[in-house]
Amino acid sequence: MTAGLARHPELERLIAKLLDRGTWIASGIIALGLALELAGWPGMRIVIGGIAIFILLPVLRVMIMLIMFIRERDTRFSVVAALVLMIIALGAALGVHMAGNMPG
Amino acid sequence: MNVEFSAWLFAVSLGASALGGALGMASGIFIVPVLITFGGVDIHGAVAAGIVSVIACSCGSAAPFLRASLTNIRVAIVLEMATTLGALTGVFLAGVVPVPFLFFLFAIVLLLSAWQMMAPRREPANALQNGGATDWATALRLHSSYPDGILGRDVAYRVHRIPLGLALMYGAGLISALLGIGSGVLKIPAMDTALRLPIKVSSATSNFMIGVTAAASGVAYFALGEIDPSVAGPVALGSVVGALFGARFLMAMSGEKLRLGFVVVLVALAGQMLLSAFGIHWGGHAA
Repeated sequence: MTAGLARHPELERLIAKLLDRGTWIASGIIALGLALELAGWPGMRIVIGGIAIFILLPVLRVMIMLIMFIRERDTRFSVVAALVLMIIALGAALGVHMAGNMPG
Repeated sequence: MNVEFSAWLFAVSLGASALGGALGMASGIFIVPVLITFGGVDIHGAVAAGIVSVIACSCGSAAPFLRASLTNIRVAIVLEMATTLGALTGVFLAGVVPVPFLFFLFAIVLLLSAWQMMAPRREPANALQNGGATDWATALRLHSSYPDGILGRDVAYRVHRIPLGLALMYGAGLISALLGIGSGVLKIPAMDTALRLPIKVSSATSNFMIGVTAAASGVAYFALGEIDPSVAGPVALGSVVGALFGARFLMAMSGEKLRLGFVVVLVALAGQMLLSAFGIHWGGHAA
């Protein structure tokens, strides 16, 4: 009995690749921005871009899972993944809303 | 931007992430109090930087666990409903809760972590017995197996008590967003006591989950403009480097000495957070 019920080997490899590559890209962009900034060039916007990529990586990972679950016709887990994405979107909305309410 | 401060942030995060990784903890629990105490960063800025570092650590170290089939991604996505919802609650509370209370909560979390570290985790009595009558885990096809290197074969395991796991994970998400940490304090009991996952599966799966959990509060803090790139940038870089390379160097060190050293650091940071809670500032910075 080697085939585990909850295993998705293909999806696992795909996500591993995404997170691995994504980490290198985001880190590279942040390093570039910081290097520019230290050299006296404006690099902070680039750093912000790298940080944004980092924050979006796990979100992208959930999106890939959602697509896979839909393809596998796994309705329950498609709903679960969609719910997680919705909650994250709500988080962004909450942030924007709270920013609007801040003094200044 | 100041070169020395950036270098300091990078070095501190590298160290925290390397040491944390060796003990299966996220780096935030060390980085956030150090940023506040020695870096003069205000608590909201430190929490936001901590969240970025948690995401960086999670993304940077997930691949080997996934490739080794240790991560149970079905369990992860189910629990992430609870952790992200908790994170949302945490973001909301972060704007309302008075700062001294945050320091106080941080002190408690640090002390609980120290206590957990003194009591080493035991492999939960998992066995293969069936769960209760309304077995969520079976309905959701969460049971799985993982390849065990020592035994040289696949070990099957069952997942228990999902509702209790979800409740604890909601708390873990809340604490994570509020304090900028991975929140192992609540995840370890959730994984061991409630779900009864094998330790290897539990470590891989919770490491995988903290990225999404932190992303839920991360998008909010990003929109709020609380992420200062001159702080979070070097912190993220240091965390990735620490997570990738640091743990390897630490393998050589004695586990018991490392554990004891960490308990001392955690208790010292807890003391510092308690002093801050009562408005006493000393040691380095008067912010």
